Amino acid sequence: MDFITGEIVGILLFFIGLYGLMTKKSIIKTIMSMSIMESGIYLFYVTINYVPGSVPPIGQQGDAPFVDPVPSALMITAIVIGIGVTAIGLTMFMHYKQKHGITHWSRNRN
Amino acid sequence: MLGILVLAPILVGVIAYVLSERLAKPLLFIFQVAFAAFAFSQFMAVKANGPIVWSTGGYEDGIALSLYADSISIFMVLMTAVFYIAFLVYAVNADYFKSKFYFLFMTLEGLMMGLYLSSDLFNIFVFLEVSTVVVAILIMINKEKQAIYDGMIYFFVNVIGSSFLLFGTGMLYRTFGLLDMRAISESMQHLDSAKSMILPYGMLMVTVSLKTAVTPLFSWLPKAHGTPSAPPVVSAVLSGLYIKSGVYLFIRFNEMFSPVIDMQTFFFWVGFITSVVGFMMALGQHDIKLILAYHTVSQIGLIMVGLNMASEIAFWGAVYHIFNHAIFKSTLFLTAGLIYHEYGTRDVYEIRGLFKRMPWVAAATALAILGITGAPFFNGSISKYMIAHGTYDYNVTIMLNIINLGTTMSFVKYATMLFGENTKGKRVKSDVFAVGASLVMGIASFFTGIFGEAMTLFLLNYEVHVNMDEYIQKGMVYVLMIVAGIGFYHGIIKHGGLITRIGHLELTFNGIITAMTGYFVVVVLFLNFIL
Repeated sequence: MDFITGEIVGILLFFIGLYGLMTKKSIIKTIMSMSIMESGIYLFYVTINYVPGSVPPIGQQGDAPFVDPVPSALMITAIVIGIGVTAIGLTMFMHYKQKHGITHWSRNRN
Repeated sequence: MLGILVLAPILVGVIAYVLSERLAKPLLFIFQVAFAAFAFSQFMAVKANGPIVWSTGGYEDGIALSLYADSISIFMVLMTAVFYIAFLVYAVNADYFKSKFYFLFMTLEGLMMGLYLSSDLFNIFVFLEVSTVVVAILIMINKEKQAIYDGMIYFFVNVIGSSFLLFGTGMLYRTFGLLDMRAISESMQHLDSAKSMILPYGMLMVTVSLKTAVTPLFSWLPKAHGTPSAPPVVSAVLSGLYIKSGVYLFIRFNEMFSPVIDMQTFFFWVGFITSVVGFMMALGQHDIKLILAYHTVSQIGLIMVGLNMASEIAFWGAVYHIFNHAIFKSTLFLTAGLIYHEYGTRDVYEIRGLFKRMPWVAAATALAILGITGAPFFNGSISKYMIAHGTYDYNVTIMLNIINLGTTMSFVKYATMLFGENTKGKRVKSDVFAVGASLVMGIASFFTGIFGEAMTLFLLNYEVHVNMDEYIQKGMVYVLMIVAGIGFYHGIIKHGGLITRIGHLELTFNGIITAMTGYFVVVVLFLNFIL
């Protein structure tokens, strides 16, 4: 099962999310697919160039290799942005549904 | 020092949000003028001493999150800073000019500066994401039904688009361990196989193509730029300046990948198709804002054609066209705002007699129309002349003329508003500031044309000589184009039919995402084919 690494699973999740976005008409499912897609990206990043047995880059740790801290730092930022974006998307959707009762993407400019 | 360019507008926006409206307005104006002056001083510094790099935290360049200003990026910065003065003057008396609005408006300026200056891929992602949020809120600031729907489409499509950028950045980081664009570009020369760059390139190109709204991906643009209830000044910023950040990123990313990947032929054709599709769709519209929005698509196509012609003069012509398009398209959106406010309708066939009813607004519109169609002595003619000079191929010249004919046709239709009888009686007075700002922008499109040679030399550091005989010849062609445009208008466009039906084709949300995926697959396959 060597091929099931974080990177491969990340890429798969990204495209599963994309599939959801392409096929689902419900707005709430759009938001969910978007989150799936983003989790794929986070997983891809945090497993970039991971060497088994490496340690966090804190303190003095002998000769075990250090993990590259940059992707994790980037992902903290990306996760925060992702939460913000999801929250804004949900806010827009809720406002729209409560005011106009529409839950699906429609074909026409109404 | 470059950090100030990004941070200052946002900080001032926050301060203005807290202050009372009476204090905030003068503060915004004083700041914006000072800011433009500062941008100008930075521009002169770059001009005199070459590129400026500003690295955060004192780390060395290439590792630090750096801001980088070279001649193109500082030119975009200067353009944005100066145009914002006109936009603020235009909006100052409008009823939507409240604290919430100008806070977001100024934030957007800072974010655009960040996009132009940032040299770090992850920072570009952050700026894109935040600016998407800001723009979406600006579009639906009136909370009207159609605006919220359009804003939502804009928001989701662009968030998904920028996640492609994030993924592509991850792949680049995996290969190089770097995030700085210049450093990546340098290490790309040592790459064994160019094939490993196919996926990241495809990902990055999906994002910038979405942002620049090229052919299959432009469906969100008319929705966002042409939303009926969005304030005119927001449409002007989006269509005049914000869309250019996508074009700018396109230039930067292609520069970054230039050691291994050359996709100029592909994007040349994409640009041409975009241009044709853009004006075809524009011809079928009745709503003046939608005409202008679809026309932006067409002009972006022309810019892409110029950028990808593999010739220096066409490249700089395209960059100059970015500037010119910003002038006349902002003017058109600003005046369109005044027009539909006054007439109470946005239907181009119902608005008549503009010269009699709102003479100054009509004058500004007329100047901008002359600019966009490339009339002699106006700015559009200079940049189109430069783009046309990039080739000696007869077929390409014909293609450029087709684009010009399309532009002329849709603006003949637009210009019918100016003439005719004023049906609703006497002249009216609009807000002096708004009219003044649009008029100044309109006149600018004349002066940047007259002094075209000097302007390109000063702004872009590129020397161009306009050959008088050839220029006069282009002028004749222009007159012919106008005649043909009027003929087409009376023969075909006025009667609607098929053209109206083409104009109302649009993709659903799922269609847009599918187009995006399809575009990604096409780019990747094409790259596999040529590498």
